[in-house]
Amino acid sequence: MTIENDCDDGSLKAAEEHLKKAEGELERAEHDVEKAIEEIREAHHHHPEFEVTVLYDGVKKKFEVKPEELVKKLLEKAIQAFGPIPNPHTLALYPETGGEELKDDETLKQAGVKPHDLLLLRPSKVKGGDR
Amino acid sequence: MSRFRLPREVLTRTFEQFRKCGCGRRECQALWIGPWSDALAITEVIHPKHSGHMGGFTLDEGWLHQFWLELGRKDCGIRFQVHTHPEEAFHSAIDDAYPIIHKPGFLSLVIPDFALGPIGFEKAYLTEIQPDGRWKQVAIGERINIT
Repeated sequence: MTIENDCDDGSLKAAEEHLKKAEGELERAEHDVEKAIEEIREAHHHHPEFEVTVLYDGVKKKFEVKPEELVKKLLEKAIQAFGPIPNPHTLALYPETGGEELKDDETLKQAGVKPHDLLLLRPSKVKGGDR
Repeated sequence: MSRFRLPREVLTRTFEQFRKCGCGRRECQALWIGPWSDALAITEVIHPKHSGHMGGFTLDEGWLHQFWLELGRKDCGIRFQVHTHPEEAFHSAIDDAYPIIHKPGFLSLVIPDFALGPIGFEKAYLTEIQPDGRWKQVAIGERINIT
């Protein structure tokens, strides 16, 4: 019995070249993926997102924020989420522990906001009168 | 239209508080709250810490902060703000500008004559925040059902 070999030397060599090229491309792709993962890790290291809870009129809602995010941005997001609130000019965010309202132009980091903090969305003034 | 259920006892206690705190000389505020699990129920009257005088009142900010936390703990919301006027009941520019809640649908009730008249809504004024943020008078009977 004889076994026929259809592959001649030329086609085998071409296949080997093709394989080598594919292996090279795979290696580059794996390197690119690793690089991308590292970039994502780096981004998370410098700008990690965290969660805070905002309380308005007895209702709590959670928000994903970044330390570099402005207080104003979180305030706007909260007003949208609890709204529509058509005249929100007297509303501000306050730390759970009380004290001054968080300043709009500060970042959350500068304002001392930490992961899992509870912030109060409430009016700064409530008053009434007949004159 | 859905109406809030106001226990007569809560209404009576609100008038008692207005009379005791205001003494016929100072404006006073009350807040009607209820659980979020039953959004049309009013279960409690709250008497905020405030400074009051003949022509107005201002809530204490420290009290407001603690009350906000308490609402969160109790899972309750503010249904109405109620306050007195020395004479005629209406919503002043100050009332319009500084409510405790700013959402459309929030209701503000004004009781005339420092609440020294009969317990009820005679000559009272009810107004509601509209979607554009303006206040609009609404019929008391359309929003409140005394139980």
